[in-house]
Amino acid sequence: MRFFLISIISIFMNLSWSDCSMAKDSSKTVIAGGSLTEVVYFLEQEEKIIGVDITSNFPPATSELPSIGYVRALSTEGILSLKPSLILGEDDMGPPLVVEQLSLTGLDVRILEEDHTSIGILRKIECLSEVLNTKSKDTLSKIDLIKDDINYLNELAQENKESGIKVMLILNMQGTSPIVAGNGTSGDGFIKMTGASNAANKFEGWKPISSESIISYNPDYIIITNRGMNSFPDIESLASTTSLKFTNAAREGKILNEDGMAMLGFGTRTVSTAIKFAKIFSK
Amino acid sequence: MSSILSKKVHSLKFINSFQTGILALFVISTLLILVTSITLGSFNFSLQELLNDSNSLDNIVLLEIRIPRVLLAAFVGASLGLSGASLQGLFRNPLADPGLIGVSAGAALGASIVIVLGSGILPDFIFGTLILPISAIIGASLVISLLYLFTQGFGYQGITYMLLVGIAVNAFASVGIGILTYISTDSELRGLTFWTMGSFGGASWQLIIPALIIISLTMFWMIPSARKLDLLQLGEPEAYRLGVDVRKLKFKVIIASAITVGISVSLSGMIGFVGLVVPHLVRLIGGVNHNYLLPGSAFLGASLMMTADLLSRTLIQPAELPVGLITSAIGAPFFLWLIFRIRKT
Repeated sequence: MRFFLISIISIFMNLSWSDCSMAKDSSKTVIAGGSLTEVVYFLEQEEKIIGVDITSNFPPATSELPSIGYVRALSTEGILSLKPSLILGEDDMGPPLVVEQLSLTGLDVRILEEDHTSIGILRKIECLSEVLNTKSKDTLSKIDLIKDDINYLNELAQENKESGIKVMLILNMQGTSPIVAGNGTSGDGFIKMTGASNAANKFEGWKPISSESIISYNPDYIIITNRGMNSFPDIESLASTTSLKFTNAAREGKILNEDGMAMLGFGTRTVSTAIKFAKIFSK
Repeated sequence: MSSILSKKVHSLKFINSFQTGILALFVISTLLILVTSITLGSFNFSLQELLNDSNSLDNIVLLEIRIPRVLLAAFVGASLGLSGASLQGLFRNPLADPGLIGVSAGAALGASIVIVLGSGILPDFIFGTLILPISAIIGASLVISLLYLFTQGFGYQGITYMLLVGIAVNAFASVGIGILTYISTDSELRGLTFWTMGSFGGASWQLIIPALIIISLTMFWMIPSARKLDLLQLGEPEAYRLGVDVRKLKFKVIIASAITVGISVSLSGMIGFVGLVVPHLVRLIGGVNHNYLLPGSAFLGASLMMTADLLSRTLIQPAELPVGLITSAIGAPFFLWLIFRIRKT
């Protein structure tokens, strides 16, 4: 028992949370988290990537890189076998024991905090450009472009806030009850980026919702991921399901579908997708 | 009548030379697989690096990651195999498995509480990565205490009663896990899902040394009960008349299984079918007496688990498959075949 206690005390975390200082050697980078991969490609540093997780599916070129598995179920040895010099991870990178083992080997492990806002995306981009030491004019001007986009998005969002539009975001349909983005989800963050309010604001997390509560939420727009759309031949048949057909959105044909990662990944694409939806909402 | 019984008992007491040979084979194959598992993996060692530089990445991977992992797999396999074999003997039921008495469910509930609520309640630095296994062990211990209370110190006559208590405990734990699943966030939910599929990925010396000591001690405590388990196959009253303290035997087998399975589940998640399938394989190969069956199941369990872990590490490298998927993928068809066979006879 004493041994056990000593080993408990001797464990401590020595990870760098959101440490954006320049990495000593970023020539062999492994990435766990789709949004980070997206940003590294955006910064045109993709030649530094030697492995990605399976949530890194954009741009399509990532499929040619070795896969280290799912971001929450990584393997220490698998990652080390690629002999990386730097590991970049989203904050849900795991399991925790693997993350700890990786940092114990003395590797540079950076975990970036997730913040589901446009500022969060900008911070992620700036942080990675520091870590990867990308100071070329091209990339700096690209970052400025993103800043312009975010300013434009915020203007659109301000207009939408005043008109008080309610949006509901559906991940997929589980039978007839949809899995809906509640408070604190990436979906909630995405809706708020457009200036609209989340219609489903009475619960936390992604939850299956009953038809009755959907009617009480009565969203003006419904967004569904493309993957969720797969189980329906077209938008009309989705709109006519019992759970959705009594909402304003379904009656007025305001159901939209979009690629899940483009909305919810919170990489660079999320900004342009949010602009697209903010424009639709302001019509 | 009594002379026939005692003759039968007498012949069961010994382990025949054929079985000794098979046990020796099991030991040799376990050692071979141990060495193979340590040498193979996604990370390729260079012998030069290993010998020349004791601080090289190769050395760290071998000593801090690969070896603890393989050892953990071996011990978890051995404890699942051994407790499966002794529980099947105790319940006199070929379909008994360590999950049946509810201990794995208790451990799973303990782990789920940490995965879902832990990050909110406890700051990371208090227990760090140890809090999950500790909570799982507390969950398993609570189930053991419940079993003990409800069966009045395991003395209650009739094994059915114990099985029913196990079913109730299982149901209770799955409700708890269900509630936690419902309130979990997206990422906690995925953590939960992967935990229930099992992995040896997090093995470190700090975690496994206490576990290996406790598991080995419990095994040495349990294996000498083998002959009593043989006698129990004649029925509880008969075993009692032949001098077996049935109550004490039940206590020993259940406590020992609960400890080993509880620790195994706590460190590696839910790994299905090993506890069920391994004892049957050992019986098919060499016979049913427990002096052979118990150590045989421990060694075969260890070999199979190390093999499953080796597959999980190497099939889709550098990623890895949850080991529970591999054992269940092998175990489920075998289980069907077993049911089919039982129905025919």
